[in-house]
Amino acid sequence: MLYEFQYVAPKTKSELLALLDRHGDSCKIMAGGTDLLVDIRAGLRKPQVLIDIKKVSDFKPLSFSEKEGLLIGPATTCADVIRDKTVSREFPILIQAAKQLASTQVRNRATIVGNICNASPCADTALPLLCLDASVHIVSKSGSRIVKLKDFFTGVKKTALRKDEVVEKITVPSSMAGGRGGFMKLKRIKGHDLSLVSVCLVKKGSLLRVAIGSASPTPVVLKDFPAQVTADNVADEALRSVKPIDDIRCSKDYRLFMIKTYIERLIEEC
Amino acid sequence: MRVKATINGRRIERDVPDSITLLHFLREDLGLTGTKEGCGSGECGACTVLMNGRTVNACLVLAAEIDGAVIETIEAESKDGKLSKLQEKFHKHHASQCGFCTPGMVMSLKSLVRENPKPSEEEIREAIDGNFCRCTGYKQIIEAVQDATGQLKKPEDIHYA
Repeated sequence: MLYEFQYVAPKTKSELLALLDRHGDSCKIMAGGTDLLVDIRAGLRKPQVLIDIKKVSDFKPLSFSEKEGLLIGPATTCADVIRDKTVSREFPILIQAAKQLASTQVRNRATIVGNICNASPCADTALPLLCLDASVHIVSKSGSRIVKLKDFFTGVKKTALRKDEVVEKITVPSSMAGGRGGFMKLKRIKGHDLSLVSVCLVKKGSLLRVAIGSASPTPVVLKDFPAQVTADNVADEALRSVKPIDDIRCSKDYRLFMIKTYIERLIEEC
Repeated sequence: MRVKATINGRRIERDVPDSITLLHFLREDLGLTGTKEGCGSGECGACTVLMNGRTVNACLVLAAEIDGAVIETIEAESKDGKLSKLQEKFHKHHASQCGFCTPGMVMSLKSLVRENPKPSEEEIREAIDGNFCRCTGYKQIIEAVQDATGQLKKPEDIHYA
């Protein structure tokens, strides 16, 4: 294949953090590999060392508790989330979005944390996680910190993550459990495609939150609205908050038009 | 990287280069050429195999990652020269034309039928959302699965046999 790189699969967190500290710029963390291996094949990235985090035994799997909320581990795949009964009951919006990500085969490998760390403006699972006020838990050899997901994305495929850091989990507060909403993704074909634009809405109690994808350098979450807000109010705020571009997939004007349309549909449906 | 895995029921232990894919390993090192390379980037599904019971694109898995895994490929589908029910119905309903997508299609559908013995048409379509077929238009494939799962009762349900 490709070029020769080294593959390592550390079994403990301390082993992983030491590797990150040692290799710095020349290594890349791999979870599902569904973005990374495509980029490597296309010559867009050329790490010398691939660090597979799926075998790290002290990272936690998907779980839910009142105290900690929903916990998504670094090896939790889209398929794991889609099949999980607790997620289905408490955070169905996450499943709606995860089901729209790529194809069955990719969902079986791609991880939620990987989707977030890849930081594409069109990351499908970023929108429900933004609406659910998720936090990103980051760890490195020198300590740990927590960053709100809305502050984690810093640009197209850029995040707040430093070279020696790794995401050990994403959490969603249990206060958002039971929230309901919708996810709409515009694609060129019905099957496997990236979004031209996507809109996610979540309602919980008196709160309504909307996030928009593929319309700015990063996924965007709008300010909080009261549950009874009108579609016009949300659409005005949305159009002020996004900066879509014309690109290979569609025009800026079409994106703006569809954001407004999806907001109207979601407010009516939810 | 030293890997131990079970491939089509056979245990193997090999040294594999770090930078080759599972697809390359199956085809070039094990001679299992039933798994096809289409796009090589997770779009077309021609290289679909089962890893621990779930479908994956073999082009997006490194050979080094299969340590401890159970892999199933199209070669395990027929037994003693006898086609599996899915293969037999693919044949009957002309669900294979050029044939390049067929191994991947069969693996995706095998995984579906294992979990869901009577899938609806919508569920069949969803199960092959990652498998491109540029010949059939998919209808013959869907009909083959409906037949294999005992869902074509009347002669008027059958269009392609």
